[in-house]
Amino acid sequence: MVTLDVRPQLIDALSALRDRVAAVRLPLPLDGAPRARQTREELLAQLDDYLVPRLRDPEAPLLAVVGGSTGAGKSTLVNSLVGRRVSEAGVLRPTTRTPVLVCHPDDCHWFDGVRVLPQLTRVWLTQQEEDGGAGAWSGDDEHALRIDTAVALPRGLALLDAPDIDSLVVRNRVLAAELICAADVWVMVTTASRYADAVPWHLLRTAKEYDASLVTVLDRVPHQVIDEVSRQYAALLTKAGLGDVPRFTIPELPESAGGGSGLLPTTAVAPLLDWLTHRVRDPAARQQAVVRTAAGVIGSLNVRMPELAGAVAAQYAAAVRLTGAVEEAYAAERERVRGRVKAGAVLAGDARTRWRGHPRDSSARELLDSLVESLAALLQCAVAAADERVTEAWRREPASAAVLTPGPDREVSERIGMAVRRWRRVVEEMAEEEVRLLERNAAPDPETVAALLAAALLGGHRTRVAGERLAERIGAQGALRLRDKGGDLVATYIDDVLHFERDRRLAPLDALDVAPEPQAELIAALSVLQKEM
Amino acid sequence: MADATDMTTLTDEPGETGPRRSTGVVDTDADGAGRRWDDGLIARHAAGRKGAGAPGVTVGVAAIDGDDGTAPADAHQPIGGAYEGPLRVRLDALRELVGLSRTRIDGTTLAEAGRVLDEASTRQRLSSRHTVVAIAGATGSGKSTLFNALAEVPISETGLRRPTTSAPIACVWSEGAAGLLDRLAIPGRLRRRPLAGGDGDEELKGLVLIDLPDHDSAVVAHRDQVDRVLALVDAVIWVVDPEKYADAALHERYLRPLAGHAEITFVVLNQIDRLPGEAADQVLDDLRRLLDEDGMALGEHGEPGATVLPISALTGQGVGELRELVGRFVQERDAAARRLSADVDAAARRLRSVYVADGRTGLGERSREEFAERLAWAVGAVATGEAAEREWRRNAGRACGTPWLRLWRWYERTRTPGGAPQPAEVIVEDELTARQRVEQAVRTVSEEAAAGLPRPWAQAVREAAVRGAVGLPEALDELAVTAGPPSGRPARPAWWPAAVLAQASMTLLQIYGGLWLVGQIIGVLPPGIIPPVLVMLAGIVGGPLVEWACAAAARGPARRYGQDAERRLREAAAGCGRAKVLDPIAAELMRYREVREQYSTVSGLTR
Repeated sequence: MVTLDVRPQLIDALSALRDRVAAVRLPLPLDGAPRARQTREELLAQLDDYLVPRLRDPEAPLLAVVGGSTGAGKSTLVNSLVGRRVSEAGVLRPTTRTPVLVCHPDDCHWFDGVRVLPQLTRVWLTQQEEDGGAGAWSGDDEHALRIDTAVALPRGLALLDAPDIDSLVVRNRVLAAELICAADVWVMVTTASRYADAVPWHLLRTAKEYDASLVTVLDRVPHQVIDEVSRQYAALLTKAGLGDVPRFTIPELPESAGGGSGLLPTTAVAPLLDWLTHRVRDPAARQQAVVRTAAGVIGSLNVRMPELAGAVAAQYAAAVRLTGAVEEAYAAERERVRGRVKAGAVLAGDARTRWRGHPRDSSARELLDSLVESLAALLQCAVAAADERVTEAWRREPASAAVLTPGPDREVSERIGMAVRRWRRVVEEMAEEEVRLLERNAAPDPETVAALLAAALLGGHRTRVAGERLAERIGAQGALRLRDKGGDLVATYIDDVLHFERDRRLAPLDALDVAPEPQAELIAALSVLQKEM
Repeated sequence: MADATDMTTLTDEPGETGPRRSTGVVDTDADGAGRRWDDGLIARHAAGRKGAGAPGVTVGVAAIDGDDGTAPADAHQPIGGAYEGPLRVRLDALRELVGLSRTRIDGTTLAEAGRVLDEASTRQRLSSRHTVVAIAGATGSGKSTLFNALAEVPISETGLRRPTTSAPIACVWSEGAAGLLDRLAIPGRLRRRPLAGGDGDEELKGLVLIDLPDHDSAVVAHRDQVDRVLALVDAVIWVVDPEKYADAALHERYLRPLAGHAEITFVVLNQIDRLPGEAADQVLDDLRRLLDEDGMALGEHGEPGATVLPISALTGQGVGELRELVGRFVQERDAAARRLSADVDAAARRLRSVYVADGRTGLGERSREEFAERLAWAVGAVATGEAAEREWRRNAGRACGTPWLRLWRWYERTRTPGGAPQPAEVIVEDELTARQRVEQAVRTVSEEAAAGLPRPWAQAVREAAVRGAVGLPEALDELAVTAGPPSGRPARPAWWPAAVLAQASMTLLQIYGGLWLVGQIIGVLPPGIIPPVLVMLAGIVGGPLVEWACAAAARGPARRYGQDAERRLREAAAGCGRAKVLDPIAAELMRYREVREQYSTVSGLTR
């Protein structure tokens, strides 16, 4: 069980866990990915803003975050608790865009550093006791946290006025959730006309799930119905299994809508303030409040970490599927190309006519040219077909949306043309070498030898004659040697071309760097933590 | 109840029965908003729970959705004469559009359009004298209070227990709206009349007012009710209050998706009695700003758009004005048409991605030429032409060349190994055309044709090309045989016999001169060295001269012969490719253009 003593091992385990969580990347847009990304963000927020700082400094002030729907009167409530207008309240929604943290002047040092909510810039508004000081500040910084001090608050208690949990401004919603994650005590504010709304109930259920220390405030209840509404609300809470949650009811007063001083009379908020003060002053109550929330968060890790690990595994599985589709497509095309070459598909169309005309009607160079072009066409065709297969297979994978699909670019044909020309060069060199070795005075033309060799290699059964002619010119042994070497060469070049194109296709996926390791690391970090507890 | 037979009946709560349909606009967008909404710790947790909590509802709705995907195509009936002018044209075009694209676009995408058509025909069969107006809003905003205030009789139960209203309640101002209420599935016990019996109230004659449950309460079934009814009513009065007017649930789930329906939308800010002094105006301005941000046009300064009004249902402030506005709205009797028009707009907007893509469509002349060129390569037209030309010239050279030169060439050939003339191979080949080149040609041309088309249509073009290309290589094989150069000796030009004769006479001259010389040497003939030498010289010089002249003369006809052979093959291949691949592609493109035109009509771009 967690206690409030500093426990280095536990903190170390949590820090390690936090690093693992921070290292998780979920780049592929799978079904569960947005949820898992949220889980990751929340875990980080809770670990960074709440759990680790709390365990490090158990004596730090209790942070009570006031959250609720828009117009529930959160700011008015905070102002009334403090006894001064620290947070802007008004009739226009959403009112609070920048969260405000109020603490006793002696507790200031706990919040000015990066101990909690390190991602928010501190904005100081202290010692401006004159009225309207808070409202005058109008800077709308995206990531600001206003800190104010008030002597009215007991030492060891800090109040945080959060933006609306259902704000129209999405950033506010996210920020509100983040702030609530950092709370020791969740103060949930709702109103007479809202207590049956779906959104506040989501918050209540979340609090229950994390077993956080929770207080609810039923605000802005018209006097004439206060009993009925209160009873009704209590019934709903009991039904939801939250019957033991402390409940405070505040009637609707002119001040609720900004009338008068904008502050509710002390009597209206006294029970809540007393409850909060009691949490702070009484060591046992304080211990209970803090430990309960902390234990709830740690307990929830048991569920959320495997969930995150599962999402990581799903990412890896999707990446493997995508890679597999590419590899499979290119492997199939490779087999097809090999089969086609064996069947003599290269020696068709132009090349075939040249071959039939050789040597009477077409020169060796022309034959070689047409063969090379034909081979290039075969390879281009294979690459295009493979890409088509990949596109088709990826269309069924939602994850592929994150991976850039290179369009049919001109460079593919250029690259293939270059590879095939290089192959031709090598074949010609081989032929020249072989002819030079002959040491005959009536040496055959190396170009003819090269053309015949190419025809023999690429023509399959159609060019059996080519082999015979080659043997006539440079001898059976030389011909065999050339054909062996050339055959290997053809296979190598085809493989090279297809492998290069496959790797090019896989490059964006590889760049995402989806690996299986984070899953195991997450689980390992969790089990280390569980051992510590 | 016209549509009741093909609908599934679901019962979510006791006492609340009736057909439930996929709610179209609202439903789909609610999902969309749900996703956007799903970005916070709290909302997300609840979403997971909700799914687990009410599996029956989810499954039921999904089943109906699936049903909707296939049914509307056959179910909808032609639109009668009720909607005149642009709306009628657009509905007809939408029906045409759905019909034309059913084989190309999957049913779920078209379901929304089918639903709009269904609703149009259903609504049109029902009373056009009535206007169905729903009052919607959040819990505790005072919907029921406003409802009662408009009806001037406490019909709908108001209260503090939240949520109050659990099923829609209707109030009908004049007779003949039973069909409309059946369509909304409001049971008889929930159909009421206003205090004066309705007929006395001339101002609101023809009004059917519906009080909806709240859309944001923790009871999910209420939201489903709201979504269902909102898709069917002619107009909506949104009731908001100072506390809830900026709720994300209201704006993201309803007002933003329904921004196109501004003309049939009233937004009333209720409970202004709760606001002190100028605060009411501030809140009203803020509400206008939020609506503007939602994209909803505001009906200010006489422009069409949503009406925004501050009222207090409790004190009656502003209710009279609302009555008047609603009354005028009802008397215009075109709310149903406006609603359908907005529905068609929304459907068109949603279908935009499958019908419109930027970029020029169509197959250019250059693409066609390149395709023909690629096919020519595949059958080897160029090489065949060159081979034919060379063969012709060789034959000419052989016929007109000097015999001596031919002798020397033969000797040369026997000297080099492998150079000896080979017996003509008899090769039986099955694949004359280069398959890979045909495949590439088809792929390229289909890619070019599909460029600039929306995805389903690009896919259709590609499929058409692939289907057409199935027998193409075989057909080209056949062509290469039939349209290729004739296997026999090529035709000879008229001057050829003369050239052969001249060459023969030159050889004869040489022999004659030689014989003359020999005769002189052996003394048979009288001596005289000059004439025979001259004769022989003439023969020796004349032979190559004739050969050279023939070669020069043969160059032109040879080229013509070769070009003929090439052109024949090229044209045959191009013709084959056009018939098998280009024509189907062109037909598919034509179909797309037709659909695109219908879409423009639907979206109202051209009238």
